[in-house]
Amino acid sequence: MSRVIEVPDVLDHKGFEVLIRALNEVTQEGAARVLFNAKHVRWTSPYGLIGLLAAGRVARERTGFAPSIEAPDNREVRGYWERMDFWHVAPEVYDLEPVPARAHGSSDALLEITPIRSHHDVHAVVERVRERASTILLNKLHYARPSVIQFSVLLSEVCQNIIEHAEADGWVCAQTYNYRERLGRDVVQLAVMDVGIGFEGSLSAEHSRRHGERWSAGMALERALLHGESRHRDPGRGQGLQAIRRQVDRWHGELGIRSGDAMIASPTQEWGDLAHMQTGLEKFPGAQILVVMPAHVENE
Amino acid sequence: METEGSSSPLPDIAVASLYQRNLVTRHTGRAVRLSIEGLVSELGATSLTVLDFGDVAVIDFSCADEVVAKLVLRAVDDVSAESQHFFVFRGVAQHHLDPMDSALRRRGLAAAAEGPEGEPFLIGDVEPVASRLWLAVCEAGHACLDDLAPVLGMEPGDCGRLLDRMCARRLLRRDGQAYHSLFYTFAEAERAGNGHGTAGPDAPDGAPPSERE
Repeated sequence: MSRVIEVPDVLDHKGFEVLIRALNEVTQEGAARVLFNAKHVRWTSPYGLIGLLAAGRVARERTGFAPSIEAPDNREVRGYWERMDFWHVAPEVYDLEPVPARAHGSSDALLEITPIRSHHDVHAVVERVRERASTILLNKLHYARPSVIQFSVLLSEVCQNIIEHAEADGWVCAQTYNYRERLGRDVVQLAVMDVGIGFEGSLSAEHSRRHGERWSAGMALERALLHGESRHRDPGRGQGLQAIRRQVDRWHGELGIRSGDAMIASPTQEWGDLAHMQTGLEKFPGAQILVVMPAHVENE
Repeated sequence: METEGSSSPLPDIAVASLYQRNLVTRHTGRAVRLSIEGLVSELGATSLTVLDFGDVAVIDFSCADEVVAKLVLRAVDDVSAESQHFFVFRGVAQHHLDPMDSALRRRGLAAAAEGPEGEPFLIGDVEPVASRLWLAVCEAGHACLDDLAPVLGMEPGDCGRLLDRMCARRLLRRDGQAYHSLFYTFAEAERAGNGHGTAGPDAPDGAPPSERE
């Protein structure tokens, strides 16, 4: 019999924390099949959706069995998952029959869930997203024309974070929605996740000795995001995340990176709900990146 | 005070088209750089290679580091008396600037660039006074210290040190007492028949055919 993980009804970055707490509890009990029950999910963000893939992958690694998943009852949520190609990608993680991919461009998604395994995937993502980014960033978010290329650069750098540092595969997706409650504006949310070695693991060999016992996931995130440090001594490395941070700041958006048991956010905004630094979170492998870009308003 | 400058032969020149619409990922950048380095190795001991960014829609920070910063770094690090390699980045538009400039600055480097309309400018780590001096040389094509120092209101000693420093950074080329802009050098070399035609690095490993022109 499977052990059941109840997927939170609101599956965003906060719901993801609830999900992985449940995952850690269930998988502590040893090898057994796991069922992710998503029947009651009534809202999902891009971060939450690929978070479900990441959690499923970890469940699979810990138990040795591909987990099962119950689809949401809510028709809108089911439609959203389909439009984001969740069921096409999910069989790599979950015990599901393969489903063909939708024709790209046939949905309103900025970027459907796309696995990132090599630099080829990054090229494909940058190429694929250009036209839709142009429509969404210019018409919906009212950004200036250069933002289309700046978004491609940002996308490329966040995806490369997986290839260069995770030592594992990952996923990326992006979607526009109206952030009614807190902002009352459209936003683009971009999410990138892997379940690899994480920032602490990536930077450890080069930096942990210098910081001794203070070395932690939080410190690794701080060194990488705020100080541009990487696992390499080469001064040309480590600029990607800093560039992402600068760009998100120019758009008055938010950038959050979770790794291990910590999450750092910079920049943060008054309308957002990311804290500058959270530590002592539930441990989870890899890195989970969240970018929120709000629609531009005059006088901002 | 003027310093004795050695005569430097006109360089072999080449124009490299990048054949990539999206210069993204470190992997792609490495492959492009290796192709360009292969191209440069086939030129003479003194060379000037123009990299044409006219068809490049996107360049990211990682790729800019691999292609732009590392090519310049190796040219500057090569201090042998026998060889001098110069690079000019042509067709550099506003959307290329941030990644290229940032990659160069992180390594304390600078590079000569030309905008889409042919306007010369420096990118990377350059003091404003050096930039003004460089533009004055570009405007003149070639000039001596005695001509440049008064125009910019500089002490000749300071001006000479700055010019020599820019030669060491491969932003100018010195020939005897004269400092030559790289654009003037290119035109001169072309007139002298030192051109090796238009060349392009091979498409990097794995680049989809659609990315090739």
